[in-house]
Amino acid sequence: MIGFIKKDLAVIKSNFKLLGVLIVIYTIMGLMGKMDISFILPFMCVMIMISSFSYDNYNKWDAYSISLPNGRKNSVKSKYITTILMTFIVTIITTILSFIISYVNIQSINYEQILVTMFGTVFGTLLVLTIMYPIIYKFGVEKARICIFLLVFGIVIIGSLLANYIDLSNILKPLSFLEDYLIIILIVVAIIMVYVSYKTSEKIFSKKEF
Amino acid sequence: MENILEIKNLCKKYDNFELKNISFTLPKGMIMGFIGENGAGKTTTIKAILDIIKSYSGEIKIFGLDNREYDKEIKQDIGVVLDDMFFPEILTPNDINNTMKGIYKNWDTKMFNDYLKKFSLLPNKQIKTFSKGMRKKLEIATSLSHHPKLLILDEPTSGLDPVARAEIIQIFQNILEKDECSILLSSHITTDLEHIADYITFINNGEIVLSKTTNELLDKYGIVKCTEKEFKGIDKKDYIKYKKLKYEYEVLIPNKKEFKTKYSISVIDKITLDELMVLMIKGEE
Repeated sequence: MIGFIKKDLAVIKSNFKLLGVLIVIYTIMGLMGKMDISFILPFMCVMIMISSFSYDNYNKWDAYSISLPNGRKNSVKSKYITTILMTFIVTIITTILSFIISYVNIQSINYEQILVTMFGTVFGTLLVLTIMYPIIYKFGVEKARICIFLLVFGIVIIGSLLANYIDLSNILKPLSFLEDYLIIILIVVAIIMVYVSYKTSEKIFSKKEF
Repeated sequence: MENILEIKNLCKKYDNFELKNISFTLPKGMIMGFIGENGAGKTTTIKAILDIIKSYSGEIKIFGLDNREYDKEIKQDIGVVLDDMFFPEILTPNDINNTMKGIYKNWDTKMFNDYLKKFSLLPNKQIKTFSKGMRKKLEIATSLSHHPKLLILDEPTSGLDPVARAEIIQIFQNILEKDECSILLSSHITTDLEHIADYITFINNGEIVLSKTTNELLDKYGIVKCTEKEFKGIDKKDYIKYKKLKYEYEVLIPNKKEFKTKYSISVIDKITLDELMVLMIKGEE
């Protein structure tokens, strides 16, 4: 298992510099009081990992990995673990930087706002991961890119239609008591999403032929 | 003798191709040459052995264990070189070493580094900077460095020059002598196999045509070169295939000794695996 994670990290290591540059840009922009791009950083982790699928695909790593011990399971598991690990590490770094930026700019730390932003970002990142990975395993990385484009496009269209024609605040009013438990709900939903997505990808890959 | 690999009635159907009842066994410590023309089913058979293709029928046992049920345990002791399937090319031999350390219990970093030195492969260079031959050597080094008990090699010498090929073949021979390893080696370059293979399994159009010891094949089988008149005098059950050339007939016979006692045709040549393949595929019955 560890070996598969090491391989995935080795494939994406050239992108670590890019992440580093983005973190520096985020810090500078934050200190200058310009736009907050913190949400981009964890999201980049998924994007970088998706690029690792392209490298794998080009040299038929998936087929080769099956010839290794427990290759079918570990190959999928390592993708999820590496992505989640990277997302968490980058989120922790970004959160600490946000605290520092907030303290430098306004001499106090807006814990609640920063933590809510970070939780939201991690949740959004995991949502992309959980949707994308099974699609990649089923249809390949190229088709998956088109799928995610259609998906995002569809969500935006449906979202804007709903916002125009339906008053969401009325519908969501009865659920307002859940606001206090929002973080816990997000965590539970995220865990369920990742688990279901992982099991789906594992099942797809277990039947895949090359 | 203990069998390292046993395949019984392996069948797999595609739209335009079919593996039909593939059966053969590889005894311990032996090397089997797996030959056949392009598209004959060599790689498909190897993929089935390694579970890279799934929906096949039949039985495959490795080290006496079912290949699907004991996948994890079995693959700890298998080394593979697959045609065009390997690590992403942006990785380096060092990355492969780090990866394999976390995958194989018996991964031997020293052995891997020794092979890198032997093959003049730089450990920090990306695979994409290597020539085709160098990549093949890296694949071979990777397949050997966890002391496998079974090596499954799909065209391991393709793309290599004759010197490198001889070097690789020598390495396979050394492994066989030292480690009690068994090897299934598919190759187009049949001259390599004549020197090292204990068994030859010949697959054609998805079917095993023959699976015999190399000695039996090269000693017993022969090519009779004769005139049309002489050919017409040969009983059909005494030959396997024949080919009509411009001035003579080439006839593949299964038993030179028996043939000599029965017929007075004097030109019976020793057969090479190349000639055997061509006559079996292109010859008439």
